[in-house]
Amino acid sequence: MDKIVAQYSRPSYQNVYSEQDQQDLTESLPPLSLKFALPPVANPSAFLRAMTDDHSNPSCPIKLAHGTTTLAFRFQGGIIVCTDSRATAGNWIASQTVKKVIPVSRLSRGEDKPTNEPTPGLLGTMAGGAADCQYWLRYLSQQCTLHEIRHKRRITVAAASKILANLTYSYKGYGLSMGTMLAGVTPQEGPALYYIDSDGTRLPGNLFCVGSGQTFAYGVLDANYRYDLTEQEALALGRRAILAAMHRDAYSGGFINLYHVKEEGWVHHGFDDMNPIFWKTKLESGEFSNVTSEL
Amino acid sequence: MGSPFDINGGACVAMVGKDCVAIACDLRLGMQALTISNNFPKIFNFAPSTYLGLTGLATDVNTVSDLFRYKVNMYRLREERHISPQTLANLVSSSLYEKRFGPFFVSPVLAGINQTTGKPFICGFDSIGCIDFAKDFIVSGTASDQLFGTCEGLWEPDLGAEDLFETISQALLSAVDRDALSGWGAQVYIIEKDKVTQRLLKGRQD
Amino acid sequence: MAASKAIMRGPTIIKAEDDKTRQLNKNTLMAFSGEAGDTVQFAEFVQANVQLYSMRNDTELNPAAVANFVRGELARSLRSRSPYTVNLLLGGIDPTTQTPHLYWIDYLASLASVPYAAHGYAQYYCLSLLDKHHNPNIDLEQGMKLLGMCTDELKRRLPIDYKGVLVKIITKDGVKEVDFDNDKIVRSA
Repeated sequence: MDKIVAQYSRPSYQNVYSEQDQQDLTESLPPLSLKFALPPVANPSAFLRAMTDDHSNPSCPIKLAHGTTTLAFRFQGGIIVCTDSRATAGNWIASQTVKKVIPVSRLSRGEDKPTNEPTPGLLGTMAGGAADCQYWLRYLSQQCTLHEIRHKRRITVAAASKILANLTYSYKGYGLSMGTMLAGVTPQEGPALYYIDSDGTRLPGNLFCVGSGQTFAYGVLDANYRYDLTEQEALALGRRAILAAMHRDAYSGGFINLYHVKEEGWVHHGFDDMNPIFWKTKLESGEFSNVTSEL
Repeated sequence: MGSPFDINGGACVAMVGKDCVAIACDLRLGMQALTISNNFPKIFNFAPSTYLGLTGLATDVNTVSDLFRYKVNMYRLREERHISPQTLANLVSSSLYEKRFGPFFVSPVLAGINQTTGKPFICGFDSIGCIDFAKDFIVSGTASDQLFGTCEGLWEPDLGAEDLFETISQALLSAVDRDALSGWGAQVYIIEKDKVTQRLLKGRQD
Repeated sequence: MAASKAIMRGPTIIKAEDDKTRQLNKNTLMAFSGEAGDTVQFAEFVQANVQLYSMRNDTELNPAAVANFVRGELARSLRSRSPYTVNLLLGGIDPTTQTPHLYWIDYLASLASVPYAAHGYAQYYCLSLLDKHHNPNIDLEQGMKLLGMCTDELKRRLPIDYKGVLVKIITKDGVKEVDFDNDKIVRSA
């Protein structure tokens, strides 16, 4: 009998968490952030910055993957999201096949199957620390799913972006590095586009370019952007703006990853090597006259 | 700003074949991440079968190539003959060492065929003139780590002119595709005893 | 015939109507930016020397020769005790072949012959635009339109007011200033 009682009652010594610990675990954490181990030094944020920020300290011991061009813009037919696919560590090209568009949706998480059927959910883009973006967009997708279960309807882009912005703000100064855009079309908002970065900035807007090649993409995009672009024009403009950035920015390149977000969900419009597209653009429309094609 | 060698970017490689040598370079001129020009050749001709490739800081690529054009022209006028690759190597070495305490930030690569012996000759230098003689290949530039890998993998002894062209082109293109600061097209010279072929490679433009 | 277009940002608050170009000889024009003081000193130094050469030899230097002379002087100064910090664009028409040339020279004295160029922040915004819209056969009207697209983009994205641009064109007959609408209001997307 005692044995059975012991099995179902909690002995007092098993309660290893003090009152204070429990308080900490349940209340003092920012409601949306998780608990991470921090370096055991007096000022963890300054320490992390010194170790990981290769801009202020080029010989920093922890090199993070950087360098990107990503863009997204709103138009009458929805939102175009387009990225390059290069990851660099210093001057070394670590990968040419990075997927920098991350679906933030329970249905498509981790799967990027080519299908013509629109997949419901939001899209997030990745610029800055690759690990930071992948982890936190995955986390955001988890939060969005929970929202969907709790409220029996899909989360708005405004709410989702706020979750991410609050999160990045709670880790401000700890060396997170991300510049991301969230795109989605919801019944409440219509096409909605938000820019969120690791400083805690959150901005709604029509047109954003993020990453080391942003200026080149802006150059092409601004000159030809109109809200009443047709779907074909918008897709071509997104692709052309990324191509421009890949050509001029050493830290952008690889494959052009193109998405279109509409009411029913997002559609993938290809992950295409830039090089054949570049030579086709040059030879057919006479652009890129700075590049020599014959001796 | 990083090392002066990494500001403008660029890569160069030379290889020995059977009775021929090849030298190739990329065409990029950049300023850190920004690509300024896609038509900045880094190989210069100094005698009918003698070529010098210069990578490193672009201003010194210009300055050093101008300087050697002057010196080699003076040599030719005085001696009334073309300079041999071996002589040019020693000229490059001693000229670079003259700037021992304020060096030119370049890593030259020399390739040529000695017209008297008919033997291929290649060598490389550091920025203050130490000569690195080699029987197989010489690499330099921001993609030199990658070039060592591709050359070790692709090069074999006694390649004919056409095979050597394929080898050096593949080695260079594969290497610069893994380096952010070089690429954007390439130039290749295949040097035989009495024939030089120049080719342009359409490299990736990113 | 379309020649090179030298655009330079107008000045800071001190002067809103500055001319950041110097004509080196009949058919070469040099635009400059960089360290205050250095720019004008260097530009007028090479201007004087190019003109001296023309007087002594009774011949105009072609743009390639001028560019290499300018680069040589800048490279020499780079390894001196107080180097000039100037970025240059040098455009001109070759008097013998009548072809236009444009050279990009930075403060390290790197020289590149290019179809279009810019310095400073302008190159980050304008080069991609020029990549898309430039071709070697554009006429003056199309060239001015393209320049307008570039200044529109700078107005849209640069957080500073550069007080408009001064535009000069180089043709086989020499250099002349042209009117340019700097008061256009540009709206952001």
